[in-house]
Amino acid sequence: MRRVRNWFANPWGQPRALGAITWLYMVWSIAPVLIAILFSFNNGRSRSVWQGFSLRWWWRDPNNSVLHDPTLRGALEQSLRLAGLDMLIAVPLGVGLAIGLTRWRGYGAKPVNYLMLFPLVTPEIVMAVSLFLVFDHLYNVPFGTEAQVLGQVTFSISYVVIIVRGRLLSVGPEYEEAARDLGASPLGAFRLALLPLLYPAVFASLIVVFALSIDDFVVTQYMSAGQQTQTVPILIYQTVRGTATPALNALASLMVIVTLLSVGLAYLVYRWASRAQPVTSSGALNEIAALEA
Amino acid sequence: MKNGAVDLVQLRKQFGEVAAVDGIDVSIEAGEFFSLLGPSGCGKTTTLRLIAGFERPDGGKILVDGEDMAATPPHRRKVNTVFQSYALFPHLDVFDNVAFGLRRAHVKKGEIKGRVTRVLEAVQLGGYEKRKPGQLSGGQQQRVALARALVLEPSVLLLDEPLGALDAKLRKALQLELKAIQERFGITFVYVTHDQEEALTMSDRIAVMSGGRVEQIATPEGMYEEPETVFVADFLGVSNLMRVRAEGADGGACLTVLGDFSLRAGRGEIAHQGETHIVIRPERVVIEPYESSGANRVPGMIERVVYHGSSEQLVVRLASGDIVQALFVRDGSSHDWAQGTAVQVHLPAEALRVLPPSSPGEMAAVAEVAPPDSGAALEVGAS
Repeated sequence: MRRVRNWFANPWGQPRALGAITWLYMVWSIAPVLIAILFSFNNGRSRSVWQGFSLRWWWRDPNNSVLHDPTLRGALEQSLRLAGLDMLIAVPLGVGLAIGLTRWRGYGAKPVNYLMLFPLVTPEIVMAVSLFLVFDHLYNVPFGTEAQVLGQVTFSISYVVIIVRGRLLSVGPEYEEAARDLGASPLGAFRLALLPLLYPAVFASLIVVFALSIDDFVVTQYMSAGQQTQTVPILIYQTVRGTATPALNALASLMVIVTLLSVGLAYLVYRWASRAQPVTSSGALNEIAALEA
Repeated sequence: MKNGAVDLVQLRKQFGEVAAVDGIDVSIEAGEFFSLLGPSGCGKTTTLRLIAGFERPDGGKILVDGEDMAATPPHRRKVNTVFQSYALFPHLDVFDNVAFGLRRAHVKKGEIKGRVTRVLEAVQLGGYEKRKPGQLSGGQQQRVALARALVLEPSVLLLDEPLGALDAKLRKALQLELKAIQERFGITFVYVTHDQEEALTMSDRIAVMSGGRVEQIATPEGMYEEPETVFVADFLGVSNLMRVRAEGADGGACLTVLGDFSLRAGRGEIAHQGETHIVIRPERVVIEPYESSGANRVPGMIERVVYHGSSEQLVVRLASGDIVQALFVRDGSSHDWAQGTAVQVHLPAEALRVLPPSSPGEMAAVAEVAPPDSGAALEVGAS
């Protein structure tokens, strides 16, 4: 008994109690995901009773597998399409905004800095309803892909601004000044000195925006226009209580895999882009961690 | 004619309510090593940034070789800067960092290679072309920053505390090296520092700044030997300032009254009458046994003996209440003074300097810079 106690609470040894708590949490949080993935390989139609291994819900079944069911495939395509468009639009805009906000020292800069946090703290359902109202009555944006992208971009930009601004503040103005001093025009100084220093933050932003977009349910649902613009989360929500097959699990698993792959890729690119930048090497990654949590 | 003369005419820069640079006039000759010296917030860095073009002046002129640059953006000025933080581009290797300016000037590829190689050799960094700034030591980074500016052959090089981030030993070595490079290239150096020793060691001339104004411009010897204001006397690391009543000239010296004692001061504003300060360098103060007598002697008591290796510092409280520091080389000839000994302090007339009376605000600034009995002066005196 005493030995167990000493192993666990030895003040000179490893903090094993903390380790134990960490692992308990990991198991608790990952177990449902792993079980969901497992059942995508179920041989029967059940999503709760194991009936043997099979790949029928992935591609074997000619009608109901992820590969062949047009509804499932369409949802996955729509999810990826929205994520791609969101990344393409929100990241450049956010980078520009962040640079403007840090370099612009006017009277408006401070309130705008705080207003940038607004989409982060507003309940998403409130945001979605408001966007629905203005899109419908004020701007006449047609619902569907356009409205979905616009809605996602609206809240994604805040994250990009926060990530990039953190990097900008740690970089400081001296690199641009050095470039100007050595004969670069203002635009040249931005392109040759500042932008390369921002690459890690830009990649971090891309991945955060991707994750936000893939995950998003509320805004995307409000802006959708029927079956054609269903995304994976919407589809899962609608079918989960009905006649769902393990194909839905396969679809969800695909989402997990795609997200993990993109995070892994982003990490590698990030490592590559921030090599030999010892000053703030982990800054942007910490930002991701903070936001994702 | 040599290029690189810089003239600042009534140069002014406000930040909000504060005048960072308050109408300064400085004339820097071509090929000169000119230092701007002062405590933080005195306006020296702002002055440098005005010359570089990073700040826009609110008034006055910046003439480089007679041409007003005030409205020219930094990338079109024939001046280059070595930044305090070096600001080397971390994503570029040493070669690309140094070649950055040449590429912006559309120099031919073959010529770039030659010029970069030559300048890197001049700063003793031949063979480091492929390293990234992150893989270099502080001293090496400093040399790259210097090479990056020198390769453009500017007529004026601006240096903003370039040695500030280095350790003491490396600083000393690089001080001499910088001075040698400046002489070899014949470039005007405008050097900003808060380190009076650095300024005294390297400069042809120094401008001491305080509160956005220039206090005095002089050669290192002139600045050290003949400070014109209380601020300069104090900032250059000498704090033997005594408040006296001056009674005007009498036979080539000023008669001054310090408490119950009268002192003849042979230098400075000897014709002055009224309240003012006199100043004496610690190394000119002579400590004598209590029995000795003669003019310009004030009795005192040794309060503290500070051993500095090659030299020794005595802190003496005079009978008038003032604190005086004395510094002498330990060459074996001097007494070993003990704490608490009563002595006579000889303040030779030819070493006592009468300063012009100063405003109360100025004295407050002095008090901020150095407490009266700090040992900041010693390194200068000892070297």
